[in-house]
Amino acid sequence: MNSKKCIAMLLAGGQGSRLGVLTSKIAKPAVPYGGKYRIIDFPLSNCVNSGIDTVGILTQYKPLELNDYIGSGKTWDLDRLNGGVHILPPYQGQHGGDWYKGTANAIYQNMEFIERYDPEYVLILSGDHIYKMDYSKMLNEHIKSEAACTIAVLEVPDEEASRFGIMNTRADGSIYEFEEKPKNPKSNLASMGIYIFNWSKLRKYLTEDENNPDSSNDFGKNIIPAMLNNNELLRVYRFNDYWKDVGTVDSLWEANLDLLNPKIDLDLSDKNWRIYSRTASMPPQYVSDTAQVENSLITDGCEISGKLDYSVLFENVTVEEGAAVEYSLVMPGAVVKKGAVVRYSIIAENVVVGENASVGTEPTPDSDANWGITVIGDGLTVGKNAAVGPNKMITENIKEGEKI
Amino acid sequence: MRASAVAGIVFANTNDNLLNKLTSDRSMASVPFGGRYRLIDFTLSNLVNAGVSSVGLITKENYHSLMDHIGSGVYWDLDRKNGGIYLLPPYLTRGMKRYTGTVDALMGAVNYIDRCGADYMVICNSDVIANVDISAALESHISTEADITIVYSHGKMPHNNGATMQLLFDENRRVKNVCFEESHEADFAIGVCIIQRQLLLNLISSAYEDDNTDVNRDIIAKMVKRLNIYGYEHKGFAAVLDGMNAYFNANMQLLDSGVRAQLFNRKRPIFTKTRDDMPTRYGTKSSVNNCIIADGCVIDGTVKNSILFRGVKVEKGAVVENCILMQSTSVGSGAQLNNVISDKNAVIGSDMILKGTAGKCFFVKKNQIL
Repeated sequence: MNSKKCIAMLLAGGQGSRLGVLTSKIAKPAVPYGGKYRIIDFPLSNCVNSGIDTVGILTQYKPLELNDYIGSGKTWDLDRLNGGVHILPPYQGQHGGDWYKGTANAIYQNMEFIERYDPEYVLILSGDHIYKMDYSKMLNEHIKSEAACTIAVLEVPDEEASRFGIMNTRADGSIYEFEEKPKNPKSNLASMGIYIFNWSKLRKYLTEDENNPDSSNDFGKNIIPAMLNNNELLRVYRFNDYWKDVGTVDSLWEANLDLLNPKIDLDLSDKNWRIYSRTASMPPQYVSDTAQVENSLITDGCEISGKLDYSVLFENVTVEEGAAVEYSLVMPGAVVKKGAVVRYSIIAENVVVGENASVGTEPTPDSDANWGITVIGDGLTVGKNAAVGPNKMITENIKEGEKI
Repeated sequence: MRASAVAGIVFANTNDNLLNKLTSDRSMASVPFGGRYRLIDFTLSNLVNAGVSSVGLITKENYHSLMDHIGSGVYWDLDRKNGGIYLLPPYLTRGMKRYTGTVDALMGAVNYIDRCGADYMVICNSDVIANVDISAALESHISTEADITIVYSHGKMPHNNGATMQLLFDENRRVKNVCFEESHEADFAIGVCIIQRQLLLNLISSAYEDDNTDVNRDIIAKMVKRLNIYGYEHKGFAAVLDGMNAYFNANMQLLDSGVRAQLFNRKRPIFTKTRDDMPTRYGTKSSVNNCIIADGCVIDGTVKNSILFRGVKVEKGAVVENCILMQSTSVGSGAQLNNVISDKNAVIGSDMILKGTAGKCFFVKKNQIL
């Protein structure tokens, strides 16, 4: 097998518990986004567009749908003779086996896979973020600086810095300290969860970390601090374009509606940086005589007869006559029946919102802290004339006329 | 039935001349239709949905766009180790003349037919838009012990210079006569027929030796008494394209939910090449009614009763009515279009007014800038 300069390892095993019912049946990277994508389309498309043709995908939590989605990797042009995409679940070896204990342990357990390609560099990615990034630029900078590790960072507003892993740097861009969610941040450079390591260094630190019984085997908590302690050169790579963590209901909702905001720079129609996605063969969308559509994204297989405003509709969604969908995401196969109203909500796959039902409410100046986005879980039915208030996470069918 | 029991043959250039505006640099099979399809998608999907995994695609001329569309056949699941899609361009050897008819065309594909190993061949034209249940037609072919089964529709025959067969049946539903006269109400063939492979080989080689050219006229019509020919009625939507009006009307019929349900039957989906466009974006003040719209469009204007292919842009203040706008057409702000068909990459400038009529659409050529 030819050796590779750089291969990518994509951490896709997390449950994404903050997305609640949206990840009750699927892993977070398989969560639908932007009408026809899934979150994992972004790191995979970035890889192939950056010239990285070997990607190991580490799965653990609910991998069925994700495995199915990845398939041979054909969608991203990653079905290669040498390299390509590989799904790497935890496995049993001669001396037993274990679940992935942490992000670092997941890579440790797959050292054999990495060694097959004898790479100089390993790019570590996660499946939680929406962004377009040329990893080859970051790799060039990493090589030029002769660092042991380069971490991509984003400047965040000072007041939000305490929500992120913050890199404290010297004037030359080298890192002297990493702080996870600091109360009093010293800098506003937030880690994007994208690392490039010299493989020889990473292998050494992973092995040492594995032998430390007190370690939680995590990149942020253990590997990076250990490297800093040993005076390795760690540097930041600054990224200035759109990047959003979609780990919460609010941020997932927001990141979708960002696609409708002309001021936000996330162009998915850029032919020079395509975001690939696997789609089923469906007829084009039909927008009927009674439809009123503004400020929305709609994709194949949808049949729209109602009113849409500031919404993102995924494939095969039906919005019947007299129904209204505003400031909402409606995921594949969902149906919004006659006269139903959906506002500020996420409707998961194959949900049926019954006639004249209402889901979610608009925020008002008097809305209290209890207001929020309502989520209806995968495959559920909201009965006729039922009403679901704001900030609800619905996990069971709602009966006809029921008020929640 | 074993996996390779049935193979398909598709004529990519059926009646190209009847849609010459759209076929000046493409074959009939690659004429765009219905927002995101090419005509071949219907034929290939019909075959694949019946379990056919080997298809020979006979091309004559202008087949670059078709090759580009088909690629490895992966979108129809026809990138197979056993079988798959075979492009059969003219195979000119000394003593062999260029195709003049379907007999020559099949003779050119005789190696494929000989080697595909199927028991039955399904022979298809590419000028038909229909979701045909070929499995059911095959069952009927087998149960009637027919030599040839012809799929037909009932209604008004296409006006295509006598290319379409009208079928007349006896009391046992066996075809007793075939004629080529146009009729407003008839049982007419819609370009799908099933035949035993060995019989096909025998028929075409003897027709070829006799200098016959047309399968329909010179084989089927002449042998109707000698062969056991049966019909299989396709009851759903079927459009045989006999000109630009038929093309326009067939597109517009997609605005009818009943037609969509028949054509885009979920049990027998129509597959096509995907393009990785983003979903279509509707802007503030966009107004869209009664339209079929593919992905990748950006709509800021008004669009009514129209078919928009992938990547069409309609700017603010533009009004598009009763139009078919093909891939990546761009309509400038304030332009007004009524009964217009635009081919790929057409650019219609701001404030242009283009008006055709329902019977004669204004046509904007591929890459044309107005």
